[in-house]
Amino acid sequence: MTSYILKRLFWIVPTFLGITLIVFAITRFVPGGPLEQVLMRGALMGAEGGKNIKMDASSGGAALSNEQLASLKAYYGFDRPWYQSYVLWLGKVLTFDLGRSTRYNEPVGALIWSKLPISTYYGILTMLITYLICIPLGIWKAIRHNSFFDYISSILVFIGYSLPAYVVAIILLVVFASNLEWFPLGGFTSSDFSEYTFFSKIIDLIEHSVLPLTAYVLGSFAMMTFLMKNTLMENLSADYVRTAIAKGVSFRKAVFSHAVRNSLIPMATHFGQNISVILTGSFLIEKIFNIDGLGLLGYESLVERDYPVVMGTLVVSSILFLIGNILSDFAVALVDPRIQFK
Amino acid sequence: MKFFKMSPASKRQFARFKSIKRGYWSFVIFMSLILVSVFLELFISERALLVKYENKYYFPTYGHQIPGNVFGLDYEYETNYRELHEKFAGSSDNFVVLPLVPWGPLENDLEARYDQNSKRLYPPFAPEYARKHYLGTDSTGRDILARLFYGFRIAIAFSIFLLFINYFAGIMIGCFMGWLGGRTDLYMQRFIEVLSNIPFLYVVMIVASIVTPTFYSLGFIMAAFGWISMTWYMRTATYREKARDYILAARSIGATDFRIIFKHIIPNSLALILTFIPFSISEAIVSLTSLDFLGYGLPPPTPSWGGLLDEGVRTLSAYWILASVVTAMVIVLILVTFMGEAIREAFDPKRHTTYE
Repeated sequence: MTSYILKRLFWIVPTFLGITLIVFAITRFVPGGPLEQVLMRGALMGAEGGKNIKMDASSGGAALSNEQLASLKAYYGFDRPWYQSYVLWLGKVLTFDLGRSTRYNEPVGALIWSKLPISTYYGILTMLITYLICIPLGIWKAIRHNSFFDYISSILVFIGYSLPAYVVAIILLVVFASNLEWFPLGGFTSSDFSEYTFFSKIIDLIEHSVLPLTAYVLGSFAMMTFLMKNTLMENLSADYVRTAIAKGVSFRKAVFSHAVRNSLIPMATHFGQNISVILTGSFLIEKIFNIDGLGLLGYESLVERDYPVVMGTLVVSSILFLIGNILSDFAVALVDPRIQFK
Repeated sequence: MKFFKMSPASKRQFARFKSIKRGYWSFVIFMSLILVSVFLELFISERALLVKYENKYYFPTYGHQIPGNVFGLDYEYETNYRELHEKFAGSSDNFVVLPLVPWGPLENDLEARYDQNSKRLYPPFAPEYARKHYLGTDSTGRDILARLFYGFRIAIAFSIFLLFINYFAGIMIGCFMGWLGGRTDLYMQRFIEVLSNIPFLYVVMIVASIVTPTFYSLGFIMAAFGWISMTWYMRTATYREKARDYILAARSIGATDFRIIFKHIIPNSLALILTFIPFSISEAIVSLTSLDFLGYGLPPPTPSWGGLLDEGVRTLSAYWILASVVTAMVIVLILVTFMGEAIREAFDPKRHTTYE
């Protein structure tokens, strides 16, 4: 058991190095990085002063001296070959220093830390609501298989499944926020949130959460419901349930204390895999509802070529993903004693 | 071709698929949609289907453009068949047969229109029957129905292209991993873990900032990440089949690895592969639409659902844009999902027991 854990933890290291190395290399070889952006801004300012516009890096001297250029390069870490800067960057990451954002000029760690609660709030609520609805619904659908209720709810669930979450988000936004004006158009809270009383703060938060949460829940809803239904039906037709019923156990007891318990196993596997999604959120939904979470931060930093933030969010999400994978294996082993660690 | 001959088992599966009405009819409708989109120019196009002029017949739909002066018009650029249609309306000799929707996906209809108070209107125009814009136009006056269908054609061609690359790579690599096992398998697993952790969007955005994505380049970028899931399934399937007695039997009579993989393992996993196809198609359509929506997909003016979605969100007052594209997406994705569920059920040998 201990050796298994150690082995799994050991394999995190090369995988993590591989991920960060590839993305780091990509960020270095792509044009339009932070340095080019500064140079372009400088060139534009120079042009306003009556000089010619030349966008290429060599003419950056029109606005910047060579010393300034060199110090800029050093500031962004572009003054050495990429593998050297990667090692430097990695060394800093090991001391929990993710660098400074080139856009906000703030430490990346603090930036990520400040956005984390928002994404986590949605992630945890989504997971809770999904499990609270999907497990009972799945059980009910399995028991009433092929009934009218099962048929109708399957169609509804399929419709939800076939639509990507962000399309649902758009529809919700248009119908309920823009046309009916039942809910605000986006954001995490109202702009004058800090002046509210405690009670109206909660109301405000709920008002802002309803639509994004619905979009989030619908995204994972269908899969969970069908997973629950199908595994429960498989267990219901298993011999041990038949034996229990033959012995005279009531159907209710056979389902709830035998079959359901075993059917929860596959649900547990999903918990660990979802951990990175729970904590980092979906950037499309955050973009549509203008929620200032971690997903949106990652997306915007990529658009703006704010590479320290890009790498920082990558570090956080990939570590969460790798740990989540291990956790889900453990969750399975915890609920299913038949599974042994090798 | 032993591959395509129906064994009794697959006949039974097909019969079962047909008996699942919802899925079967979705399949029929979806296939007809694909057929229509292959010959889309016959249904939706700015070119006429048939022109009869001075006792000669012209079929302008495919092939070179026909300049206007061929039909006695005073210009040398491509004929405007809608105007020709109106011009020939009175005469009994010459006629023009227009497609159902006489608008191309890239054509701008900027003809001046006025409301009741004779105030000039500008696009986007609401659906109008008279000019045959059945779903209205977008903000540059392009017909939405035409753009929806041409966008569908590109999306479906894209997803089939992607499907072939992904499945080919996935089946080959998956078999390879499962068959060799051991160290190869372990290293490949790590490689896949690294690859699946690289945010796919990062790479697409980065590539899009260097070169404008084209149909094929976008396809290959997406395939670079898309082969993983099929590889995973195929690897498991190979491990499972490898342990069966018939593989041992084949090996002991001296069958080569190559023969065992291609004659036994892949055909026996075909059912598994088939059940994933509809889901891969809907996934590809959704990814392409999302990329187009974000502006990293195929460049404008390529008709795309994502582009329409983006435009619909930006011009909410022109509700017909968003309504059309969302409805189209819902219909197509639901058809694919129903189809996929039916295929999955048809191939599932387990029949569920229910208690009363």
